[in-house]
Amino acid sequence: MTDIEQALRALDTGPNSGLERRTLVTVGAADLVARTDSPVGDVWVAWSTRGITGLTPRFVAEQLEDFLMIHRRTAYATDSLPVDLADAVHKGLDEGDTVGLPIDYAGIGEFQHAVLAACATIPPGIVRPYGWIADEIDNPGSVRAVGTALGRNPIPLLVPCHRVVRSDGSIGNYAFGAEMKHDLLVREGAILA
Amino acid sequence: METITAASDEAIVAGLIRDLDVGFTDLVRTHQRGIYSGALRLTRSHVEAEDVAQETFVRAYRSLSAWGDTRLATLSVRPWLWTIALNLVRTRSGRPTEHPTPDGWAHPPATDSEPIDAELWRNRLGRLSENQRTAVVLRHVLDLPIAEIAEVTERPEGTVKADISRGLAQLRQIIEWEVA
Repeated sequence: MTDIEQALRALDTGPNSGLERRTLVTVGAADLVARTDSPVGDVWVAWSTRGITGLTPRFVAEQLEDFLMIHRRTAYATDSLPVDLADAVHKGLDEGDTVGLPIDYAGIGEFQHAVLAACATIPPGIVRPYGWIADEIDNPGSVRAVGTALGRNPIPLLVPCHRVVRSDGSIGNYAFGAEMKHDLLVREGAILA
Repeated sequence: METITAASDEAIVAGLIRDLDVGFTDLVRTHQRGIYSGALRLTRSHVEAEDVAQETFVRAYRSLSAWGDTRLATLSVRPWLWTIALNLVRTRSGRPTEHPTPDGWAHPPATDSEPIDAELWRNRLGRLSENQRTAVVLRHVLDLPIAEIAEVTERPEGTVKADISRGLAQLRQIIEWEVA
């Protein structure tokens, strides 16, 4: 290699680290994540250009690294949610009112997406049996799979899997424990204490 | 410290087909250095280079989200990205600069984010023709094979080789004049 060719080769330079983050977040291929408060304590909330992609309480994932390992998408930490989204998220968390809250189901399989979308229509104060979801998604035999899909809900509280109960009237399972499910439902007035 | 996660074209394409966002993340991580590095020597500032790089990937994402699996399977990532990036570089250089200089190249203020020699090389490369500059940067800064440069610039390989050798000869002359 001549000296000029060597000098040119040495010009190869990497970008500032912000390029990757800005690019991926701008196109919606990656999320931002921030902490916020909720009725169950501090939570991580992740979002894309299209809507909320994940929510995990800090009692499940204390550090950011823990959340990033759970989250199905690439995410970059930021200080806080954008104002509009924060308002909608807190309305959802505090009042259970998630009308107009954009949810992004990217990266979620077709079946689970259908289950969660159906679950998202259940208003606060109401509970529905697992079979109701199975019927809603035109797959009445899938009650068990519905339970599994809800158990893996990446956006709990905002997609209200806690409002889905057993047809025999018992509370059923909940990722954060039956006791918390019970407390949430009492809080929403869906059941009596 | 920089971590370069370089995924092969095969892996990137398979990723894009499986999940666009996951595959695209690999694509950006693999190719951002090359696109930025080339853009840095083909544009007038590191800010412009970042703009070109980001816009290249944004346009790439938009295109890819409209492609079906069959088309995705034919993707050759690096030359395709460079086709987009060179178009962006070209359309930028056509715009009037805020501070025009006789050779058409603005001299932006030095900033901490730039390598120290950036302006020096910007001036040197700025004196080449667009074709020579592009060929020299792609070949000798980024190590792209002649065939790929020919594909990206839509010029015959012989012409690319001539651009490179004339470009290098010009640079040698320019550097000699600096010392004189």
